[in-house]
Amino acid sequence: MKAEEEQLVGRSPGQLMWIRFKRDRTGVISASVVIFFFLIGLLAPVVSWLYGKNPYTVYADERPELFDSAGVPVQPNGGISGEFWFGLEPGNGYDVFTKLLYGIRTSLGIAVAVTLATVLTGIILGVTAGYLGGKADYWISRVIDFLLAFPAQLFFIASMPVVVSLFVSPRDETPVYVRVVALILVMWFLGWMSLGRILRGTTLALREREFIEAAKVSGAPPGRIIRKEILPNVVTPILVQSTYMLPNFVTAEAGLSFLGVGIVEPTPDWGQMFSKASTELVMQNDITYMFFPGISMIIFVVAFNLLGDSVRDAFDPKTAR
Amino acid sequence: MSKGGRHTYAAISVLAAGALVLTGCSEGGSKGGGDDKKQQENAERQQSAIKFGDAAASKGPAAEVPGAKSGGTISVLARDSYAHLDPAQIYVQDEMSVSQLLHRGLTGYKATSNDGSKHEVVGDLATDSGTTTDGGKTWKFTLKDGIKFQDGSAITSADVRHTFERQFAAFINQGPPYIQQWLADTPGTDYRKLLPDGPFKGKHLPDSTLETPDEKTVLFKFKNPHPDLPYALAMTGYAVVSQKGDTKEKYDKAPVVTGPYKIQEFKSGKSMVLVKNENWDPATDPLRHQYVDRFNITFNQQYEDSTKALLADSGTDRTGVSFSNQVDAGNLSKVLNDPKMKSRTVSGFQPYVGQVNINMSHAEMKDLKVRQAIAYALPVTPFVRAYGGTDAMEVAGGIISPTVSGYDPSFDPYGKKKKPAGDPAKAKKLLEEAGKTGLKLTFGYINTPEGQQYSTAMAAGLEKAGFDVQRQEIPAETFYDQVSKLDNNYDIFHTAWGADWPSASTVIPPLYDGRVIAEGAQNYSQVNDPKVNSEIDRINKITDPVKAAAEWETLDKYLLTKVVNVVPTAYYKQVQIAGSKIGGLVYDDIIAGVDARRLFVK
Repeated sequence: MKAEEEQLVGRSPGQLMWIRFKRDRTGVISASVVIFFFLIGLLAPVVSWLYGKNPYTVYADERPELFDSAGVPVQPNGGISGEFWFGLEPGNGYDVFTKLLYGIRTSLGIAVAVTLATVLTGIILGVTAGYLGGKADYWISRVIDFLLAFPAQLFFIASMPVVVSLFVSPRDETPVYVRVVALILVMWFLGWMSLGRILRGTTLALREREFIEAAKVSGAPPGRIIRKEILPNVVTPILVQSTYMLPNFVTAEAGLSFLGVGIVEPTPDWGQMFSKASTELVMQNDITYMFFPGISMIIFVVAFNLLGDSVRDAFDPKTAR
Repeated sequence: MSKGGRHTYAAISVLAAGALVLTGCSEGGSKGGGDDKKQQENAERQQSAIKFGDAAASKGPAAEVPGAKSGGTISVLARDSYAHLDPAQIYVQDEMSVSQLLHRGLTGYKATSNDGSKHEVVGDLATDSGTTTDGGKTWKFTLKDGIKFQDGSAITSADVRHTFERQFAAFINQGPPYIQQWLADTPGTDYRKLLPDGPFKGKHLPDSTLETPDEKTVLFKFKNPHPDLPYALAMTGYAVVSQKGDTKEKYDKAPVVTGPYKIQEFKSGKSMVLVKNENWDPATDPLRHQYVDRFNITFNQQYEDSTKALLADSGTDRTGVSFSNQVDAGNLSKVLNDPKMKSRTVSGFQPYVGQVNINMSHAEMKDLKVRQAIAYALPVTPFVRAYGGTDAMEVAGGIISPTVSGYDPSFDPYGKKKKPAGDPAKAKKLLEEAGKTGLKLTFGYINTPEGQQYSTAMAAGLEKAGFDVQRQEIPAETFYDQVSKLDNNYDIFHTAWGADWPSASTVIPPLYDGRVIAEGAQNYSQVNDPKVNSEIDRINKITDPVKAAAEWETLDKYLLTKVVNVVPTAYYKQVQIAGSKIGGLVYDDIIAGVDARRLFVK
């Protein structure tokens, strides 16, 4: 009988987390779903090039035989066919398949940008407040309190047109990038506070720990302490928080476009597809249309939230849910 | 009247994604459009010009509606409460529509067919539609015998005089301005100087303008010929007001009526009850009937609400109707494809004509080839689609609509009827000839769901011809204010205009006379063409309405082929429904809605 050759291996917390995560089947499945969504978002131009259509063609004018005079597809189920896989949009007759691909691309792109911006702001302000304490902490905390008191949804709706009009000359159409930048700015402005607060609290607790004291005594400058001692210890809350924040931003962006203040036609957008689906024309004549943005968004949001849970479990297995 | 762009729609909160997918598969769209025969009928029914009827045609009572029965109560669903009941303040369609039951004027439109398509102007309170011997400068009307107000007092020429004199008072500010302007012989609002306080301080119009030699005779005396007077007098705005019962501002809530029904109760914003007026004598009235005992009107019924209630057809909605609400765009194909609804559905034209204005004050737009390129490239299908398809909009050829005398259904200068999606190839060639390929075109669109939808597709069509379209949203509340500014940024924008009576004299002069260009005026395209201006003056003097109509149509053709300052998009139509117990349901082209006078309960 051979002696057991099992050795004790030294593993970093990251490796431990990865091992635990791989054992979590829900986590892995939702991670692949999320990756799939990001991939089709990234590859939307390639897919639609292969598919041979784009989301801007007004098929109701190009192929009038497929529509009645009100722009409702004549074929059942919104004109789903071998040529138009997901059918055609009632109204102007955009191709639903490419529109959804590009809509996912727009929405995810904006959500990722907002998440990055808010995480960065949250880290900078939260860790600064927590580490410096005193006056800086007081003022940053008051700013956070102040911004948290803002009614976010109302603020978005009211400020979007103002922000957009800051950038545009009166003779030109509002370019898409302006709307995108405005959306990112507006959501970033009111999106970073919760993460900032969590990081402030964590940093405040870490600051009093022995290893920080030791670093201070050995003469390490504050920048180095923050980068080398504090940041590695707040990675967990950052990762967990951002996996919760991203789907929130996706739905918030969709909400704004649904209300008509975000991305507008003809630029494809997830939320705008919802607002189209809720019109009386689509409700009465082509309910199938709702399935595509609806189901895809449910799958995405559920998968991303499950992923967030799994990430948290993997980092911190002791906490009971 | 201009078509208001005001759409109030509440911002709906974000629906949970889940709620949206818990629904079944759809059966697919309605059957494709193109009903050739129907199109032709529609065109035919509009061909006949509206004539001025003689004394025989003006005699009451009105011809019986086939199968009509007396009695019963009709419940009426209305969207907006009536803001005005004083006839002089009435200038919007829904108030005009209910006024057919309440107010009478010197003249009126008599339906000469049972489908509401053919009309003639006849005397209503007057014995005929008016006589003139000098080409429309002097008009003589004689009042009928036995005409009374609801309080039983006789209607005399003094009441008619009072009716027109009070139009000059400052508190009358919502109604049509035509006859006041003609009497004062000035355009704009300067007419009030003729009689600043109206008749209320003892002053009256001189006999040289308005003469009432005896109790029965009224003479209008204008400085310039106004052959359209019988049409203008048929507007509710000029219906007769009781001199004795005039309470000035308060008259707006409780008028002394002359029609077959009187107001029993009016709760502004809630409801209104109309009951029979015993002092109305059918023998004097060639236009109206009094079949129903009561009309119960309830307000605040949106198009979706009234459509759903009348479709359900239960309880009081079985005898329900809406004078002015149309079937909403979303339910339109459902209503039209249901064979059971066929007998309960009527449809017809509204007076509005949609048109894309090309801003002639901009340097780039002064090139005729560019304007022609826009006219060829512009797809009108997006506009038709956005409002519910060919049942709601008919692709337009000219700017004279089917509801106006002189309409020529074969006129189609840019091939929109054959190629409603535009002709980008031809447009591209014209734009190349002009050397303006890639020209920037600022397109101001009304920020409503419909406006967003059609403007994106129109932009896509124009871009195929080589334009660089810049879409700009304009808030719906201020749309007409913005585009009627003389110095605006928009190269093209869409407006709609409706005739006040079936003559192009209420369309072409206000929209295309270069001399009326002013801040806030309706010459949206800012066109100033000397030939158009002189033709307007010439045709306005023609006394024969049929001949004038033909001349207006010629001018329409000149405008669209030689000037090209607008591109017509569509003639507005609407579909209305009623409960199953409603009889005599007819769409009247002049009222632009259900004819309330003919209704009875089956």
